Amino acid sequence: MAMKALDIYKHLPKTNCKKCGYPTCLAFAMKLAVGKAEVEACPDLDPDTKSLLGGVTRPPVRLVTIGAGERSIAVGEEFVLFRHEKTFYHPPGIMVQVSDTWPEDEVRSVVETVKETVVQRVGQDLVVNGVAVKYESNRPERFAATVALAGGGSTLPLVLIASDPAAFEAGLAVAGHYRPLVHAATEENWEGLAALTKRYGCPLAVRAAGPAELASLAGKCAEAGTPDLVLDPAPSSLAGFIATATEIRRSAIGRTEPALGYPLYLDAGAFGKTDAALAAGILKYAGIIVTPPLASASREAALTLRQNIYTDPQKPIQVTPGIYPINEPGPDAPILLTVNFSLTYFTLLGYLEASRIPCYLFIADTEGLSVLTAVAGGKLTETLVADSLKKFGVADLVDHRLLVIPGYAAPLSGKIEDATGWKVLVGPRDAADLPGYLEKEWKA
Amino acid sequence: MTEQSDEGLTIREVRLGATREEGGTREVSYVIGGERDLPFSGDGAGRPLVALEICDDPRFWPPVVRDYVGDLANDTAEWARAAERTYGADLVRLNFTSTKQRGFDAFDAIAATTEEVLAATARPLIVEGSNEPELDSEVFRRCGEAGEGERLLLGTAEADRYRSVAAAALAYGHAVIAQSPIDVNLAKQLNILLRETGVPQDRIVIDPYAGALGYGFEYSYSVMERIRLAALSGDADLAMPMICAPTDTLSVREVREAAPADQEAMAVAWEFYTAYAAIVAGASIVCVRHPLTVERLKAALEG
Amino acid sequence: MPTVTFLPGYRKATVPEGATLLDAARAAGLSMNVVCGGEGKCGKCQVYVKDGTVSFDREKYRRFFSDEEIARGACLACQATVAGDVQVEVPAGSLIEEQKILVEVPGMKEIPLNPTVRKYEVRLEPPSLEDTTPDLARLLEGVERQSGPPPNRVYAPLGVLCYLPQVLRRSGWHVTATVALVPGGYRLSSVDEGDTTGRLYGVAVDLGTTTIVAYLWSLVDGRILATASNYNRQISCGEDILSRVNFSRRSGLTRLQQLAAESINEALTTAADAAGIDREEIFEVMIAGNTVMTHLLLGIDPGYMIAEPYVPVVRRMLSTAAGRIGIAAHPNAGVYTFPAVSNFIGGDIIADILATGMAEREEATLMVDIGTNFEAVLGNSDWMLSCAGAAGPALEGGEVLFGMRANPGAIERVRIDPDTLAPSFSTINGVRPRGICGSGLIDLLAELFRACVIDRTGGINLELDHPRVRKGQYYPEFVVAWKEETSIGKDIVITENDIKNLIMSKAAIHAACMTLLDAAGLAPTDIGRVCFSGAFGNYLNKENAVTIGLIPETPPERVGNIGNGAITGANIALVDRRRRKELDGLARRITYIELNADPSFMDRYTSSCFLPHTDFALFPHVQQTLEACRARQGVRSWQA
Ligand code: SF4
Ligand code: FES
Repeated sequence: MAMKALDIYKHLPKTNCKKCGYPTCLAFAMKLAVGKAEVEACPDLDPDTKSLLGGVTRPPVRLVTIGAGERSIAVGEEFVLFRHEKTFYHPPGIMVQVSDTWPEDEVRSVVETVKETVVQRVGQDLVVNGVAVKYESNRPERFAATVALAGGGSTLPLVLIASDPAAFEAGLAVAGHYRPLVHAATEENWEGLAALTKRYGCPLAVRAAGPAELASLAGKCAEAGTPDLVLDPAPSSLAGFIATATEIRRSAIGRTEPALGYPLYLDAGAFGKTDAALAAGILKYAGIIVTPPLASASREAALTLRQNIYTDPQKPIQVTPGIYPINEPGPDAPILLTVNFSLTYFTLLGYLEASRIPCYLFIADTEGLSVLTAVAGGKLTETLVADSLKKFGVADLVDHRLLVIPGYAAPLSGKIEDATGWKVLVGPRDAADLPGYLEKEWKA
Repeated sequence: MTEQSDEGLTIREVRLGATREEGGTREVSYVIGGERDLPFSGDGAGRPLVALEICDDPRFWPPVVRDYVGDLANDTAEWARAAERTYGADLVRLNFTSTKQRGFDAFDAIAATTEEVLAATARPLIVEGSNEPELDSEVFRRCGEAGEGERLLLGTAEADRYRSVAAAALAYGHAVIAQSPIDVNLAKQLNILLRETGVPQDRIVIDPYAGALGYGFEYSYSVMERIRLAALSGDADLAMPMICAPTDTLSVREVREAAPADQEAMAVAWEFYTAYAAIVAGASIVCVRHPLTVERLKAALEG
Repeated sequence: MPTVTFLPGYRKATVPEGATLLDAARAAGLSMNVVCGGEGKCGKCQVYVKDGTVSFDREKYRRFFSDEEIARGACLACQATVAGDVQVEVPAGSLIEEQKILVEVPGMKEIPLNPTVRKYEVRLEPPSLEDTTPDLARLLEGVERQSGPPPNRVYAPLGVLCYLPQVLRRSGWHVTATVALVPGGYRLSSVDEGDTTGRLYGVAVDLGTTTIVAYLWSLVDGRILATASNYNRQISCGEDILSRVNFSRRSGLTRLQQLAAESINEALTTAADAAGIDREEIFEVMIAGNTVMTHLLLGIDPGYMIAEPYVPVVRRMLSTAAGRIGIAAHPNAGVYTFPAVSNFIGGDIIADILATGMAEREEATLMVDIGTNFEAVLGNSDWMLSCAGAAGPALEGGEVLFGMRANPGAIERVRIDPDTLAPSFSTINGVRPRGICGSGLIDLLAELFRACVIDRTGGINLELDHPRVRKGQYYPEFVVAWKEETSIGKDIVITENDIKNLIMSKAAIHAACMTLLDAAGLAPTDIGRVCFSGAFGNYLNKENAVTIGLIPETPPERVGNIGNGAITGANIALVDRRRRKELDGLARRITYIELNADPSFMDRYTSSCFLPHTDFALFPHVQQTLEACRARQGVRSWQA
């Protein structure tokens, strides 16, 4: 259980000296309580107090880096079980699997696709992260060749999947210096693999069915000198993965079993339902997802889901403020004021486009707050509306001076009229009612 | 009053549809709810249901679906029949898109269509009435009456307009979809309002409102998780099964602007990922519009 | 001769060897607590020898000391004699406490009269060829003899020096010096002929955005002589703070500064005239105003405060001479402004806090100041949290169809018969109703809720078959007064839209309170008391305020109203310099929570947008009473 702000405060010097960068000790305590500050920031704490308070903030899931260079990925270092509790930080790496039995061209084309395909959404470049090479040829040199074909780790992060120590030796001889993930150490082979990955300093996946077995195996490997581990719970079904992954994440977060504090591994091709497995892995705690090559629709949907799930729920996605023409509006089209909370925008857009009513969406910068909160929090104000009207040159677009404001902004109507000189019409509270409202009420 | 208990709660079971023994004409009825743990993590829950959405006025329906179903779109009853028999949907969700026309007053048609669709199907039916407060009470009365005894799932009650749906549900024995805009508190408030109007708790299904994947879906996802967590930890006013019906999924840019050859795949992928994620978050019913998505989802949920 | 230094004040006295420490203390101007008259019998004159030695028979007086005291070098001042230079610490308990006058501040219990400005009547030896001490030194030495401050710590403004020689001589060396304690020392504010010690005045001012309130005090005996209030003349430059700041950006600060001073002067003059005193004898002005008002009064640019990142120029307490900012008191009178926490939590709120006494208590107090904007402070003597936000004008009657301010004709109290839905109400001044003011609106909300006319979102149940419940032109409405009963010839109604606006306002305040509680990790039941500040609290029905969920549920007996906390706080700080000194420290230790930066504020807000709250468990008592109400009406129980 995290400490409450006042409990932490009791241990602070209460001098309000501001050296921590916060205006008061209590403000610092509040940040500590939600994990948004480091104990170290206060120079006036004795070591005991530091460790008392510091224990609260160490990440419960280890950060593991796979690959090297620009495309390398870091997974783990998560703090919560549900994204609404704070946020998820490190999106899972999606690794497309190739086999060393495949023709070279086929491997090459998969690798090219991974390397080149970028999906751009809301200002972010979304990519499939790397390649997993599976040892099926029974010929270590062939495995090594395929690893080389996959870039040898220098361009894309790799997962080396095998069971034969000789294959790993060969594969790591090629890619060992680029931190590929080695999959997988089991109860039978862990000693050799741990030694090998220790030698190369690369991360190791450990595989065992069930949290207890995983914990013991992970504990042994960590002890043997491979601190960067990934856990493969060897699920027998997708539902099984979700249940086990949840259990593992829960004990990691609750710090009941430190040996489970590692990112998880999921083979999405294992159940014959790749899309479902990808979605499940993204939603439920996978750090590395290995998947068969994806069709473009699946890839785009999966990457979008991953982006959605890994956005900070406390930081609403914002739409750029401005004036947006919808359905080819003319000079008599209504001006509809709204906020730059993306969800509000998309919802409105949906209803308005469907209604075919020409209009302008006039988006004020409320820092991503919804209408309700923006009004309550004083972010949506008459001054903002007046300034934005000017800034976006709204008056030049239309030949009327009527502004439709959201129902929840009704309390501001008078002030907006005063500040802008425009006549204000109070629209409905609900976006769904807007088309109907416009049909009935709008006369420029 | 909110029942609080330390052991946590079981999600209330809600029966949809009525067999002959139960006073209706359905071949099966479904019981949703009953979970005692997070999805996939415990026992108690049945497989989530996949509903195929159809409508009575295809002008308001996504082109990618119209193209796929062809003439069926013009025959609501046949479309419904195909949904169950051909596409394998667990149930049908009938949307009265006709009420979106200006000056709608064909209330008789509402009743007739409800009856026809019931006749064409053997499984429980979800009916989505009007979207227009002015029409609400008549639309709900007519379809509620037409489905009397069949334990329809009637949508949609919202905080500003719940009384007419509630009245129809109470008068004709249906269950109600309670929709609130992506907020755990608002969901709870609406359930309280319905309860205080007399709708029994085991006839409420929560619709936390689903945004489209890539367009705010994550809010819906988290709200569903929050609702379920609150319920499991003892909040009786949130301990109802959830339905996820992302109405905008097929009109997002990715689907609309996909190359013609990819459009269908994109539509299905978009619906699939959304619906599957909703199930992971705790939805008992997921609604989709493309028949191929039904198949994909059912395959994913087997085993 | 040996020198005795007394700690903690470093007062010194040079006495012959063999003198007692008590003698030395007297010579140094300390009044020791000599209960037995210096006989060594009462043990009250304990002091500790820090450095140096005294001759003292410890064994003889052993019974007066604990071991610890012995270890610290304790002895009795009346019995210990000086043997050489020595440093002695005098514990506070061994000094006679200064004579305390307790004064009653309206809204507060008694507090000591302990102003920062004092008058000293002195009779001086005229200078001579043998004694050519300069006039100033002569005067200050005289002051010191009257147990005034040491001369080297007193600063004398040039203005005083210019007239000093004439005054001294004209008066025949009998003058009254007015000396004020200022940061870092003392200031000689004035020198007047003869004895004027009976006339020393101070004024406490609440510098509000709309209204100025002033209390005129006699600082000699701690009586309030007169009070006055008038509008803030800045209103001509804009109704609210924002428009005034904008005005200052357009047309400069000067005008606003002058108007602020004129507004205060108007109040000052009214009060002085009423009391029949001369404004020139006002030597101290203590002003509590919000951060922008304070900036404007002092002529400091408030322009950077109104936009992100909302930075004020200063937060700390400022003092200046009345003459420099055009305040019509003695030109050298000290004008003090309350410190602020942030631009949103200004000096008025610090004054509120002072008025509640919450910074001196162990139990947690929640203080709420409600207007169009609200401020909330939660804390005790150890910690304090604050936040501010916009509540919207609904609670003050704005944005409500028949809302009005608390003026004559406003419905201020309402009851609704749950069976007949017949309202009974009272209006301010008892005249026919014209509208509904804030307290009436809160009553209405609570009563409509109890009578099941509205549901928990505030939606009016149109299915109720009653002439007072009707569809309305735009929104469903409830008729509070039929047009025959009113003075405006129209039905006075409350609409569903009004109700929702009210609920949004109350939700913002409740959510802010919950944010403070959660930040502190406290539950509503941990709140020792709730204090409303400001005019709003005056007529408020506490139970109804809780019923609608305006504040966290608290038993009514723990809810209080401090009225105009700003003026109370200003009064306290005017008369008690100890508390005034603590203000900067108080302001600095108040942690400000920016609600907009708090991601869970929206959550709390939406859950508060319900009557009384989405989570009834937070309002167990309200729940019980509502159950009872409903049961009485035979309406389905909540548990159904
Ligand atoms: S640095 Fe330490 S003592 Fe100083 S304000 Fe921060 S927490 Fe308090
Ligand atoms: S005065 Fe009584 S003991 Fe010294």
